[in-house]
Amino acid sequence: MNNIIEAVGLTKVFPGGLIAVNDISFSVEEGEIFGFLGPNGAGKSTTIAMLTTLIKPTRGMAKVTGIDIIKQPYQARLAIGYVSQDLAVEDALTGYENLKLQAGFYHIPKAEAVKRIAEVLTMVELTDRAKDKVETYSGGMRKRLDIACGLIHRPKLLFLDEPTLGLDIQTRREIWKYINHLREEIRMTIFMTTHYMDEADSLCDRIAIIDKGIIKTLDTPATLKGSLGNEIVEFTFSRGSSSDIETAIGHIKHLDFIEDIKFTEERGYMASVTNGESSVPAIFEAIHDFPVTIGSISHTQPSLDDVFLHYTGHEIREEKVDKESGFRNRMIMRRTRK
Amino acid sequence: MTRAVIFQDIYWVFWREFKKFTQQRARILMIVIQPLVWLVLMGNSMSGLTRNPAAMKMLGTGNYLEFMTPGIMIMTALFGGVFGGTTILWDRRLGFLHKMLSAPIHRAAIPLGKLMSIGLQTMLQALVIVIISLFLGVHFITGIPGVFCLLLISGLFGIIMGSISLSLAANLKSIETLMAISNFLTMPLMLTSNAMFPVNAMPVWLRAIANVNPLSYAVSAMRTIATQGWFFHQIWLPVVALLGIAMITIGVSVKMFYRSVS
Repeated sequence: MNNIIEAVGLTKVFPGGLIAVNDISFSVEEGEIFGFLGPNGAGKSTTIAMLTTLIKPTRGMAKVTGIDIIKQPYQARLAIGYVSQDLAVEDALTGYENLKLQAGFYHIPKAEAVKRIAEVLTMVELTDRAKDKVETYSGGMRKRLDIACGLIHRPKLLFLDEPTLGLDIQTRREIWKYINHLREEIRMTIFMTTHYMDEADSLCDRIAIIDKGIIKTLDTPATLKGSLGNEIVEFTFSRGSSSDIETAIGHIKHLDFIEDIKFTEERGYMASVTNGESSVPAIFEAIHDFPVTIGSISHTQPSLDDVFLHYTGHEIREEKVDKESGFRNRMIMRRTRK
Repeated sequence: MTRAVIFQDIYWVFWREFKKFTQQRARILMIVIQPLVWLVLMGNSMSGLTRNPAAMKMLGTGNYLEFMTPGIMIMTALFGGVFGGTTILWDRRLGFLHKMLSAPIHRAAIPLGKLMSIGLQTMLQALVIVIISLFLGVHFITGIPGVFCLLLISGLFGIIMGSISLSLAANLKSIETLMAISNFLTMPLMLTSNAMFPVNAMPVWLRAIANVNPLSYAVSAMRTIATQGWFFHQIWLPVVALLGIAMITIGVSVKMFYRSVS
């Protein structure tokens, strides 16, 4: 397999000293969906901005489809497609006009443009609405149109920055379907960023977890989840004095299939177990002789949330944003909720 | 990159701006109503005041409306151009700027396409004013070629103000700040020029300012064409000055834009 993206030591330091991306290296293979997973402000969008030539890296280099993004930015722009998180479609124009404009920006001759517009409209199933103004579109339709804009010049590599930001769950699923379709039908390589765990889990072939500008780990979702090893049993007590519960926990702790027990306010007791689902009846049996009763108990596979927590030491959270980007985020929300 | 490609890029940026402009019904309505208000209300009340030999001498024409029409055309160009920079800040806010920058278009095409759209919009606005003023009885002494020159000068002035606005926008983060600065700029520029009042009627200090105000250059050239005739010795200097200013402001706006996106 060929590498379609090759990044070595990519670093971006903004004026004022903020290190948005700190010496990251990775490669993306042709034909895969590669995801950057991380919270807002982790450096995902900055990485995309560097790879799409919107900003210059402070240090390091990268090649997209074999083209050096620093030495040949113009050629790089021709070779890649970019769909930002902003839903940058023009409300006052029709869907067709938006695509016509995009074809103009990519210097596609008129006759060819007509053909390609029809082609991408079919791909995102917007042919019936092409003559309507975008202001009458739903959030999902706008996103599809925006993706279609990114496809007009038939790039081999598509960058999707937070493709389902602000969309409702049904629309998100629908967008996932289109993204999957791109990979399967036209064998497009997709580099995407997301802060939704489920999105990374269901779409991406490989994920890089990025936090504070550093890649913490990089692998397939399955391997990442597997790397945590054990499964988890969560339980709470409905009866028993605190000293009795303590003794009971002390007893459970020494069972041979229990690796570790932690207590958290939100989730109760969390036991890391090695014997899968059979741990549940085994725990019941173990506390049979104690004057306590289990109120609720559940057995779960480690999720990407757990993986994220494991590698970054915190849950995905919202970062502080400045006034202008806060404004932009609200604009995106307002436009997607239409 | 070949030269033909940059023209193509300018065209598409222009196409988008102009298409958006034609979609804004409320704005187009205002374009017609605003000069109507100025000419009918201000023009007519001033006409009464100026119907005496002393005033006529200062105005250089017996009809205040005829005196005022080029001034209103330039005022409209001033307002149209000075807010031109907001489009780039909107593009930034809505993410369309990044969409254009990630496409293989020439960077300079973005400000130049916008300026072209501002220029054409200003010319159309000026044409609306010409039509309204014809209904109000204004006579353009040099006829259709003269009116065409008035439109061109208006468009040029709109482009100058537009490029100043774009330069400011490149250095500002928020639309609100640009709006505030633009609002602050327009009234003093307007009132320290000969757009509404004859320079001869001004106190000496104001006259000195009015004589260097670029708005006055445009208005005097246009007023000569509209009310006196093809007196080239009075026309060429202000027009050349405006062209020079335009070259500089356009150059600066392109440079500022480059700096803001690199």
